[in-house]
Amino acid sequence: MFRKIALWTASALIAFTSLHFDLQEAPGDKLVGVWEPSNGRARVKIDRIGTKYYGRIVWLIEPNDPETGLPKTDKNNPDPALQKVPLKGYRMLKDFVYQPDGTWSEGTIYDPLNGSTYNCVIKMKDKNTLEIRGYIGVQALGRTDVWKRLAVQPSKK
Amino acid sequence: MSMLRSSLALLAVSLAAGALQAQTDTSANEDYSMYDNLGFADSGAKRYCSPKIEGLSPAKLISLGYDVQGPYALAAGDLLASDGSTVLGQTAQVRATHGIRAAFNIPVVSKTHLVWQMGANYWASNYTYADEVNATSHPLHQSLSEHGLRTAGVSTTVFKPLDSKRFVLFQGSADLSGSYGIGLMPADYLKYSAALIYGKRPTEKKQWGVGVARTYRVGELNYIPVILYNSTDALNKWGAEVLFPARAHVRRTINPRNMLFAGYELEGQSFRLWQNPGSGFDLRKEDLEIRRGEARLRVVYECSLKDFIWLSVQAGYRVNARYDVDRLVGGREIYRAFGLLRDDAYAQVNGLGNPLYFNVSLNLVSP
Repeated sequence: MFRKIALWTASALIAFTSLHFDLQEAPGDKLVGVWEPSNGRARVKIDRIGTKYYGRIVWLIEPNDPETGLPKTDKNNPDPALQKVPLKGYRMLKDFVYQPDGTWSEGTIYDPLNGSTYNCVIKMKDKNTLEIRGYIGVQALGRTDVWKRLAVQPSKK
Repeated sequence: MSMLRSSLALLAVSLAAGALQAQTDTSANEDYSMYDNLGFADSGAKRYCSPKIEGLSPAKLISLGYDVQGPYALAAGDLLASDGSTVLGQTAQVRATHGIRAAFNIPVVSKTHLVWQMGANYWASNYTYADEVNATSHPLHQSLSEHGLRTAGVSTTVFKPLDSKRFVLFQGSADLSGSYGIGLMPADYLKYSAALIYGKRPTEKKQWGVGVARTYRVGELNYIPVILYNSTDALNKWGAEVLFPARAHVRRTINPRNMLFAGYELEGQSFRLWQNPGSGFDLRKEDLEIRRGEARLRVVYECSLKDFIWLSVQAGYRVNARYDVDRLVGGREIYRAFGLLRDDAYAQVNGLGNPLYFNVSLNLVSP
């Protein structure tokens, strides 16, 4: 009996620890939130999963494909198997790790407009502004986009 | 025993939880309408328009290519020398004009409110004559046959959005063009070109602008109005990429990694005639420049070979507009303003046949 209780307790403890580790706020969590790229055509929600940060599209200014009238899918993806995946919910930022220098790197950014994936580094200029640099191999061969943090707007009376 | 198995299973599930979370998206049933009513957290933030529009062909960061023009006749006219003598003209058959074309264009500043790029380019035009022995009896043919023409230059582009719809675009370049060697690049003969455009970007798929340019594209210095117009249709199938009068193309987008263009580009520059080998008439004692201007009517196919490496293949017809030799006056070029200000005769009036041409390049394109 004692052995059973000990096993259950140990398992529950590990499960709780694992969950707690995920819920605990990390220094890089200031990145978490909803952000808008400079073109204003999409909104991206960034979350932490484990120790890495991911961003998925949660809003599109033009949610439907003008050709089909149906919700947009990732039709420009070079992998035909992924071309039917809805863009809304699509993870376009992947695998970012918060670094001691205050940046998030080691991740990639995906551009649904051309189906290309780039290396990417994220810098927080201030708490509401991100500089997202997509690049090819070395940072000099890249382009920086500025994203702004979004918040719920107070309803107008 | 069964209790032990279930405990181990729970343990395994616990350990695997983190890994599973990283791979799966648990937002399938998310109510996305919650993201509709959002605004900038920083109320003072402004939106700026982007330098690109949706569907535009990708900008080339690095380009390495080769350009070949087919056979044509080059009729060199009588050359009026500075001592009053005349070198009689001579027509020669050029088997091919060919050379490398390399360019890079790197973003220096890439912010929402300012984009600044710097670039450099090198173009070579080597002239292969059908009959080298006869062709080299004339100083122009001698020089072209032996040294060809080269252009090396630097350029800069500044895009300054004023707000979410309006922008200002500046492009400037300094080029050294002529029959010089690597060690002979007299800075006195740098040619400066520039364009300033004010534009609007009313939608994500259209931008237009008007401005002025100082240009050598028609062969000699001119100040001309320019019109910028880029657009993409609603279905991202067709578009236009125009910087009139320098170039204008209709774009057919097969998919974002395969594009077909039809249109034209004006190419031109003033080339310092500095070297010719052998004895006799010495070009270095003259102050001469070739005013070369040509239109390239063409079809261009561009595609992604792998990720960001794009192939560009173009074929078309090279139509000569001007290939005349002009004499500098007091070391300065003559500004004719299309004959409105001055109407000085050229030192040599030349005629070129119009051959087919072919160009292929490998390009690293921008994100």
